Amino acid sequence: MVKVIVNGVEVEVPSNATVLDAAEKAGFKIPTLCHLEGIFDEATCRICVVDIGGRLFPSCRYPVSEGLKVTTESDAIRKYRRDLINLLFATHKIKCWSCVRKGGACTLLSLAKDYGVEAPVVCSECMFFGIDCLVAKGQPCLGPLTIAGCDAECTKNGMPCIGCRGPITSAEVWKSAIEFYDDKVKKDELLSKIKLFWNKYMDMISRYVEVKR
Amino acid sequence: MSLKIDEKTRKIIYGPKGFRIRIPIASCSLAAGVNSVRDAVVNAIESLGVEAEIYRVGCMGQCFIDPWIEIAKEGLPPAIYGNVDPNNASKIKEIIQNYVNGDLSEAMAVRFKVDGVKSPQELTELDPWKYQVRFVSRNCGLIDPESIEDYIATGGYSGLKRALEMKREEVIEEIKRSKLRGRGGAGFPTWLKWNLCYQQKSDVKYVICNGDEGDPGAFMNRLLSESDPHRVVEGLIIAGYAVGATNGVIFVRAEKPLMAERLAKAVQQAREKGFLGKNILGTDFNFDIVTYRSAGAFVCGEETALIAAIEGRSRSRQRPPYPAVKGLWGKPTILNNVETLAHVATIFQFGVEEFLKYGTERTGGTKMFCVTGSVKRTGVYEVPIGTTIRRLIYDLAGGAKEGKNIKAVQAGGPSGGCIPVELFDVQLDFETLQQYGAIMGSGGLVVIDDSMCMVDVAHFFTGFTLAESCGKCLPCRVGVKLLNQILGKIKEGEGKIEDLETLQEIGESIMKTSLCALGGTAPNPVISTLKYFKHEYLEHIERKHCPAKVCQKLVTYVINPGICNGCGTCLRSCPAGAIEGKPRDAHKIIAEKCLRCGQCMIVCPAGAVGKV
Ligand SMILES: Cc1cc2nc3c(=O)[nH]c(=O)nc-3n(C[C@H](O)[C@H](O)[C@H](O)COP(=O)(O)O)c2cc1C
Ligand code: SF4
Ligand code: SF4
Ligand code: SF4
Ligand code: FES
Repeated sequence: MVKVIVNGVEVEVPSNATVLDAAEKAGFKIPTLCHLEGIFDEATCRICVVDIGGRLFPSCRYPVSEGLKVTTESDAIRKYRRDLINLLFATHKIKCWSCVRKGGACTLLSLAKDYGVEAPVVCSECMFFGIDCLVAKGQPCLGPLTIAGCDAECTKNGMPCIGCRGPITSAEVWKSAIEFYDDKVKKDELLSKIKLFWNKYMDMISRYVEVKR
Repeated sequence: MSLKIDEKTRKIIYGPKGFRIRIPIASCSLAAGVNSVRDAVVNAIESLGVEAEIYRVGCMGQCFIDPWIEIAKEGLPPAIYGNVDPNNASKIKEIIQNYVNGDLSEAMAVRFKVDGVKSPQELTELDPWKYQVRFVSRNCGLIDPESIEDYIATGGYSGLKRALEMKREEVIEEIKRSKLRGRGGAGFPTWLKWNLCYQQKSDVKYVICNGDEGDPGAFMNRLLSESDPHRVVEGLIIAGYAVGATNGVIFVRAEKPLMAERLAKAVQQAREKGFLGKNILGTDFNFDIVTYRSAGAFVCGEETALIAAIEGRSRSRQRPPYPAVKGLWGKPTILNNVETLAHVATIFQFGVEEFLKYGTERTGGTKMFCVTGSVKRTGVYEVPIGTTIRRLIYDLAGGAKEGKNIKAVQAGGPSGGCIPVELFDVQLDFETLQQYGAIMGSGGLVVIDDSMCMVDVAHFFTGFTLAESCGKCLPCRVGVKLLNQILGKIKEGEGKIEDLETLQEIGESIMKTSLCALGGTAPNPVISTLKYFKHEYLEHIERKHCPAKVCQKLVTYVINPGICNGCGTCLRSCPAGAIEGKPRDAHKIIAEKCLRCGQCMIVCPAGAVGKV
């Protein structure tokens, strides 16, 4: 057994434990994505970084040692984690639509909420996707353009999304969403709905609609 | 070359016959056509009937004089002839004849003067040599790299003998005293790494010579290994002894075949002489070396990736555990750069004091730097650590190419940083470079002139690291790609002012959170150009203009009506039909149609097409 000091809290853990284990024992939650106990410990996602001696190391992989001091949270660490989540989304975007987890069980989405990262669109949380997509049925649902995080209550109940959480601000998302709408929803119907609910964003939106043309 | 020519060296210069003609057989001189030069020399001495011995040597490191030969006849000064025309055999014959007759006027320099013989300047008086301290590169271009006898004749392997008479702790202590730090990039104190490995209890330990040298613009390791491979091998044996290793590995990339071949040959010869194998030099030290050729990827130079490459799958691995504790096949392993090991051998040969004559407070000795890009004298220069950038680029490498102005230097390879010309008085050492946002890296300095665009430079280097990233960890795999995409956008005139902040923010996060130093340093070119050349970024974004006229989408091609003679060549070769004009009248480019391909500028015989 060795003593480790996590955020000032002293804990005793077996000498083959990781910093992640020690933090858990000390009662601090560190987010993880790629780590799978006993199966994967290659530390590739870096989301679990913590500060050890002024440098960042992935806690899921860092071996404990006697007297090791670890800081698991700080503004800087939160910023790095936020950037990492953003990088993950940079490769996700709207593709969330096709993921089996949709919104429900996705750790990444809940992390995004925790870290205040603009998550993907409502569609990714909509359990009906692929079965009963409202856009596919020709309804001017704002789901493909709205920030997720509402658990897609409306769409789940068969109503089109009205964009409560505001429009997403990524030009690329807009581009592919507008393509997605293209042959399914009437453009003016969509625009009037956007205008109705998001009037104050119209300046920004007209820029994105430009993107399309 | 501030080192004195001693009796031993004299003997090697003139050879047993008293008449030697040195011909550099190394990758660089071979590319410059030295084989034809050699044939011409062979024919010349035959037809002149002189008793000269053709002597193969490595490369001196001064690429701009390739191909060169050195003629040394007892009684005359050894004379170096640079830029010998390989296709002019009669000229080569004439040079040799004149030399034999005591006329050295065509020589570029002599190694030393001889009383009573009129000769040009000594090599060490010439600018590219004057400020060099050739400590580790002393034998480069002097001895036959494929002859262990010649290496021994210069005092080679005496350092190993000395080391083997000492205790292991003493050897490590000696290296500690020398303040030797790794020349492979990070500048980690060599003794510290050795000591950690030495303290591990294990039946098998490895020492690895890192000869991967993957960064564009760096070839000092290749030069050293091709020109004086025994020095590297000797250093590796000493390292092996110090840490108590049983096995050594020399890791060389397959793209450098001559380097691999010469190192392998050196290992073979060392084994035959009893410097490798069982009971080396009568001690109870058993050690042998194998050479390993890698397929060649930039990341393979990173120590954990290199180890993984030998094991069969090249990707970096999270440290700790450090290789010195758990490395190759799970055994304690140290890795050292080719030049670091050569320094080790040289330190044991000449003593720590000699080494400590050069360097800074925290780092002892000299370092080989590769200067390439926009300079008059491309080459490898060995100078004391702490030498200024200015000295290296202007005094040694001769400054900017004709008609160009230097604006920055990219120090440390693709993951180094750009240092602007205003800061050229900065010293080249590990700490100072880092402080200015660059790194020492392997010592590559790519000189950038005002015809290059800094956004383009950053885009190019991130493109390189992106392609070479092993893809294992998120920040490097995705982050560097994002940087590269944003830079691409800026180059196309689609950049936004917020992009600069994104570059900075994402760049910092990549550096902090990446698994290995490839990602950890990849944003350096972006962050440093943002710091020193922000105005160029702003020009691209705000004025949609590339000041260096490099970014294709942001330049406009125009024909100067005062120069155009109306020949119509451009009109015929324009793929877009964007040029109009009657024969013999000044032509005109229709901006809306122009694809900015630049074809017209290339073909115009009058030089009437320009970029704005
Ligand atoms: C991407 C990358 C490439 C590297 N390439 C080399 C290389 O080609 N040669 C080298 O000696 N070190 C290279 N290094 C540094 C090695 O990881 C290691 O620090 C070095 O070999 C240690 O030797 P030294 O202490 O003698 O410098 C590289 C590091 C990184 C991150
Ligand atoms: S930083 Fe880049 S090269 Fe290093 S492990 Fe991560 S992806 Fe691979
Ligand atoms: S740059 Fe290319 S497309 Fe434009 S005018 Fe010249 S040749 Fe034609
Ligand atoms: S090729 Fe040059 S000189 Fe000839 S018409 Fe074109 S611009 Fe004029
Ligand atoms: S959880 Fe992915 S690096 Fe630790």
